Amino acid sequence: MTNPPSTGRRSRLAKKYAFQIGRDSNGAPSAKKGGIGRTLARNVGIPFLSLVLLMLVWQGIVVGFHIAPYIAPRPMQAFQAITGDWVTLWPLVLGTIRETVYGFVVGALLGVFLGVIMAKVPFLQRMVYPVLVLSQAVPIIALAAPLVLILGFSVTPKVVIVAWIVFFPVTVNVLDGLSHVDQDLMNLAKVYGASRWRTFFQIEIPATTTPMFSGLKIGATYAVTGAIIGELAASDGSSLALYQEHANSNLNTAAVYGTTMLMTAIGISWFLLVVGTEVLVTPWQRRSVARRPIWRRRESALTAAGVEK
Amino acid sequence: MSDNGLLELRDVGKVFGDTVALSPTSLAIEEGSFVAIVGPSGCGKSTLFNVIAGLLRPDSGEVVLAEQRVTGATGHVGYMLQKDLLVPWRTVEDNITMAARLTRRVTAEDRSEARRIATQYGLGDFLRHYPSALSGGMRQRVAFMRTLVTHQQLLLLDEPFGALDAQTRLEMQQWLLQVWRETGRTVLFITHDVDESIFLSDRVLVMSPRPGRIVADFKNPLARPRDIATLTDPEFTRLKSQIMGLLHGGSA
Repeated sequence: MTNPPSTGRRSRLAKKYAFQIGRDSNGAPSAKKGGIGRTLARNVGIPFLSLVLLMLVWQGIVVGFHIAPYIAPRPMQAFQAITGDWVTLWPLVLGTIRETVYGFVVGALLGVFLGVIMAKVPFLQRMVYPVLVLSQAVPIIALAAPLVLILGFSVTPKVVIVAWIVFFPVTVNVLDGLSHVDQDLMNLAKVYGASRWRTFFQIEIPATTTPMFSGLKIGATYAVTGAIIGELAASDGSSLALYQEHANSNLNTAAVYGTTMLMTAIGISWFLLVVGTEVLVTPWQRRSVARRPIWRRRESALTAAGVEK
Repeated sequence: MSDNGLLELRDVGKVFGDTVALSPTSLAIEEGSFVAIVGPSGCGKSTLFNVIAGLLRPDSGEVVLAEQRVTGATGHVGYMLQKDLLVPWRTVEDNITMAARLTRRVTAEDRSEARRIATQYGLGDFLRHYPSALSGGMRQRVAFMRTLVTHQQLLLLDEPFGALDAQTRLEMQQWLLQVWRETGRTVLFITHDVDESIFLSDRVLVMSPRPGRIVADFKNPLARPRDIATLTDPEFTRLKSQIMGLLHGGSA
């Protein structure tokens, strides 16, 4: 590690990163072996394979035990049931997605807000925490009827139910994260003469990112369930949940399974979106070297290739 | 107190419940000196540090830094612990500028100083690395650079190398002496390693518990610069046996 004069710093460092990423001599989390192709195969291929296996097991059980289609359809029949009625289903799917997303966003914001104020004001924590636990002990289905009375058949009661389910794991995790920030680190900030405000944004919030995302991921998996419960209890006509109920009463079992698959797909997609966001905002959990901001990447690629200077 | 005194403690004492963590202590530290404090755990070393740093308000006495009373106030010393306290979500460069980020806007000068100092002391290739990619010794170097760029004259180092292996610790000690010589700071260095306290310091304060107090104040006769040979110098051994005698009572 010699230290040449600091001219052309960017190009010099860019060149160094090029070989350092692969070669980590300090027992550090170095980049995993293999290129993007292998990473994709590992992270997408294997989960996809397990889905295919699941379908095969389903197929095997239905065929092997000679189960009638109105008891349990084959995967392909369920699939055809939804593609065949896609024109009707698509707006309903969009409706469910909308309820899920709105409710999740409201629940996440509320969850973070409650977690923060409870961590900061011990009095509020003692006062609010029991109410929050109580809110989760109330069977959510029992809540739906009064919510419809208050809010009508609009999208609002569904959003409220989703938010009601989502906020709790977020609050608990944010509160937990904030109360476990390293006290020595907080003391260090104090020794530097940092204000509470800056300590909060520079230390406490980033330190809580990982637990916060744990809460958000739990919330994301429950969000669709909340939306469907809301649709069952508070729909005036058209919704994915009611479509399924209707199919069920017509003994259209394939459509029942098909809509279940749709609901599940919405839940999984939303969960993956949350995971993707986490990956984007917490690069330090996977990388050993920070990436340059996007607007500088092209420039550094050029300098690495020795175009500049 | 001599003319170039930087830090002065006047009868500073601290009690926790029934425990006298620090019985009233007076102490003067010269500007530019390297003072080691050695003692067993529970002798009040860290309490002393926290009082000087302003994290603890003493029950009695005054802390005077550069002729200003700073008792119970913060923002006037550099401070480093055995834990490096690097934040995992910031790169090495951004960890070095952490003190600035916590008190004001980080300027271009802050950044260029961080880069300059990291390059000068052997971490120039790791500026954009996250701390998780660094070894223990490198992390402590970054933590020390973060302490340096606070531009505080007085640096409080609380067992900064305590968690490192012996080999790395020796390297870090020599590195610290080099940086100290080049930057002209005043260092108060806590350790429970007697060798370390002698190898680094101009002066060794020995502390003892129940009640926590300074029981001896040795002037270190060893010449600088110091190297591995210093560790076997007869003067070194003599001072070491004196300190050991104090720390382990009659058994030495």
